[in-house]
Amino acid sequence: MKHRITLSIGPATFRIGSAWPDPIRELKHLYADYPAPADDFADFTVRLEPAGALRRWLRPSIFITGDHGLADAAPMSLPHGLLAAEMGMNLQMALGWRRHLLLHASSVEKNGRVLVMTGESGSGKSTLAAQLGERGWRLMGDEFALLDLATGVVLPFPRLVSLKNRAIGVMAAEVPAERMGPLMAGTAKGDIRHMVPRAEAVARMDEGASPALLLFPRFGHAPDIRSVGHGETFMRLTQASTNYVALGEPGFTALTRFVKTVPAKAIDFPSGNEAIAMVERLWEQRA
Amino acid sequence: MVLLYHRPSGQTHMVISPVPEILAALKDSAPASAQILYERLSRLYDLGPADTALAEIEGHLVNMTALGLIRTAA
Repeated sequence: MKHRITLSIGPATFRIGSAWPDPIRELKHLYADYPAPADDFADFTVRLEPAGALRRWLRPSIFITGDHGLADAAPMSLPHGLLAAEMGMNLQMALGWRRHLLLHASSVEKNGRVLVMTGESGSGKSTLAAQLGERGWRLMGDEFALLDLATGVVLPFPRLVSLKNRAIGVMAAEVPAERMGPLMAGTAKGDIRHMVPRAEAVARMDEGASPALLLFPRFGHAPDIRSVGHGETFMRLTQASTNYVALGEPGFTALTRFVKTVPAKAIDFPSGNEAIAMVERLWEQRA
Repeated sequence: MVLLYHRPSGQTHMVISPVPEILAALKDSAPASAQILYERLSRLYDLGPADTALAEIEGHLVNMTALGLIRTAA
């Protein structure tokens, strides 16, 4: 394609092509401090193509495609091109990654141990990880945690943090402007703004660590903490994984080990600050 | 609760008592009837009245066969 970039994020390398220069220019800017890929071999290709013959120029409309695509995905407008590229990369990981058990979860690390947080969209897992990443934790990823099948180690996937709606103001207030991407208003998920993780998170993106605590956060409720049993944890993690079934027995073995060795808690919280205090307390108390 | 990975189908099964106990009683042994399983299990557990327990074991064996976890011996 006319405009292209190759990006390595954790263990995955993406080749992204676009019919328009803008999405690639924005990616180059925001991923400027990520290490260059070792070679030109990519795991996945993402293509941002015009949704129709004239749609390159006339009301430009992006169709996301690549090695893996969704046939009925709605086209996106050109000002949302950066989001389209990020969605394209997520789609490749969700549908095509087989080297690790992929959990739809955020993760942060401290002193060589990992806190994994999983939940529905809007649960606060992404914002919480972003905030912890600015408060002495290493952000490993806001979207996918990669569980190594042989060792049980969680590997980072520190792509740009995708902030939505209220989370944008929260993070913009504490992160330097140069780490914030353009505001994309009125997307299908509301307002979206990307944030570049701290330099340490990017520099250590090949460095995994053992999981020590699993949380199921839920934003917008009165504070509450409850233990989650093995059965429920296993069920919820299979639902949070896009490749559990595809991996077969190694996925089963990795997930059962995770459930047996990592304590799990559900936490409800009314605000980000309370969530951080609860998380820090649980982290100190963990067995 | 016990998790089982079923190799032939690639499916994960979550089973609760008494299924894991019945499977353990079948493990590493020749085909066994419900009566034999009842005798093996009653040495380890208090199963209550024999006819009720036997009917229950038979019911579980039918369900486990339907799931493909066990099969009837030829």
